[in-house]
Amino acid sequence: MSVISVEHLSKEYQIAKKEKGLRGAVKNLFVARKTIVRAVNDISFSIEKGEIVGFIGPNGAGKSTTVKMMSGILTPSSGHVYVNGTDPQKERIKVVQDLGVVFGQRTQLNWDLRMGESFEMLKHIYRIDSGLYEENMAMMNEILGINEFLDTPARQLSLGQRMRGDLVAAMLHSPSVLFLDEPTIGLDVDGKYAIRKFIKEMNRKKQTTIILTTHDLGDIQELCERLIIINHGIIMEDGPLEELIDRIAPYKNLVVEYFDENAVEHEKAIILSHVGNMVTYRFQKADLTAAQLIHDISAQMRIKDVTIEEAKIDDIIRIAYGGKENGEKE
Amino acid sequence: MIATIQHYWRVTIVNIRIHLLTILEYPASIAGWALSNPIQFVVGFATIQFVVARFGTINGWGYEQLAFLYGIAVISHALSMIFFVQGWFMGYYVIEGDFDRYLLRPMSVLYQFFFNNFNIIGITDLIPGICVFTYGCVKVGFHWSILAVFELLALIIGATLIRGGIYMMLGTLSFWTKSTNEFSGFTQEFFDKTTMYPLTMYPRALQFILTFLIPIAWVSFYPAGAMLHMDGGAPALDVSFFGAMPFVTLGIGIVVMVVASLFFKVGLRGYESAGH
Repeated sequence: MSVISVEHLSKEYQIAKKEKGLRGAVKNLFVARKTIVRAVNDISFSIEKGEIVGFIGPNGAGKSTTVKMMSGILTPSSGHVYVNGTDPQKERIKVVQDLGVVFGQRTQLNWDLRMGESFEMLKHIYRIDSGLYEENMAMMNEILGINEFLDTPARQLSLGQRMRGDLVAAMLHSPSVLFLDEPTIGLDVDGKYAIRKFIKEMNRKKQTTIILTTHDLGDIQELCERLIIINHGIIMEDGPLEELIDRIAPYKNLVVEYFDENAVEHEKAIILSHVGNMVTYRFQKADLTAAQLIHDISAQMRIKDVTIEEAKIDDIIRIAYGGKENGEKE
Repeated sequence: MIATIQHYWRVTIVNIRIHLLTILEYPASIAGWALSNPIQFVVGFATIQFVVARFGTINGWGYEQLAFLYGIAVISHALSMIFFVQGWFMGYYVIEGDFDRYLLRPMSVLYQFFFNNFNIIGITDLIPGICVFTYGCVKVGFHWSILAVFELLALIIGATLIRGGIYMMLGTLSFWTKSTNEFSGFTQEFFDKTTMYPLTMYPRALQFILTFLIPIAWVSFYPAGAMLHMDGGAPALDVSFFGAMPFVTLGIGIVVMVVASLFFKVGLRGYESAGH
């Protein structure tokens, strides 16, 4: 059985179109023009136990709406969500007892009181027994070092500390599923490192199934074994990052610096650019290796230096979103 | 069932602890409320005194009976402020997406909404309420008996539920209007004026509305009148006071609360969170 299964899920919102100016405002009172926006449009997928899935898409693509439907916050307009076989619309309490959710943009820690009080509260809300509570606190402290600021109120925590606290809060009751909505947003290098490490450890130690939305390429490369790319409420891609790269960018570039302005041609590589002594070749990974290409051209002419360029992840992601081709600016 | 009650009880205890801790974080704010809230009721009481001094009685209710009536009104107001004041601010929770977190925790959303935020400062209303009521009891020569204690408990709980249920229903409208619906000033004013004077003072149409549609008259007027054995001045539709009225208040309170909870559930289904 899948840990999460999403079947033909859609969500529509009514958005009121307001006309500008005083005249418009008066008009709005009488004729409210409403348009229906499909934030999520008939998507289906399933996620197995122990997967780390990146939910990727531009702003307004429908990621958060989907996560909120999966966690039972929003009621779907149509379709179904099952978490561990249970519909959060029907048995919300049963679903959330085994679910942890972190919203990077807002905290669940008590603003005024020492952070430890928030954890104590959660211990009672989730009915966590003392043994498990102590064990989880100790284990998470080892990874995140939260004991240092356990006595600080959330309002005085740095963003990185607060985020660590929120991760602990979400995992205290050992949920089997964890949703992270932009967990690394605004964090510095250290903060991101700690949070990624935490995600990996939880996944490894507890087989926690993790779904995260992010705009951070580091998160995507380091954490996500699988990407679900969503845009305009539709799933554009669903698979591992490598597969995506192979399909969208099945090529590499080789930049060669010669000693003069003459360049060698190769039957299996095209020349993308030739400026002065610098020549950029592009070849298909299936046809040719970089080593072979260097070998072939250096046999004909002396070369000074080479650089191999892989397709940039952000370009790949952008193309997968349905954006422009590599290199073009929007 | 017992496990559930224990669960909610423990969380309630922790909640109370957390509230006390928060209050200790901000002692100045408490001092402010403790001074300003009682003044409001001293002024209210003075108004009644002035009216009675000027006109003698109001439809058969003298100064002593009015103190009794007003005491009940203030006590139920204070309790509704302690437990249900969040209803006034429900719109903010709807607009800001603050129900997200409650929906993610394994407890009733309504319980969390009211008890995560319950308002210990409401006690600053409760104390003047008890003073006025005690004063009224002494002045009317209230006859205490076991039945009277039960009647009082029933009517105070009922009156608190009526107020709380109405705040909740007004707040729930925010799920549709998608605005914060600032009803707080309006409801407080309306409740104040309609619970501190005898209902018979108002036009018949309003008496009818306050008896059957928005049952505010049951907060203080009917049960107080019944307990004081007031006669004459029968309110809307010539309902006379009868002894069981305090228990009717309790029944109405429960009904209002149940209706408000169902209404809230319907509203929550249309909850849109914030940001997509």
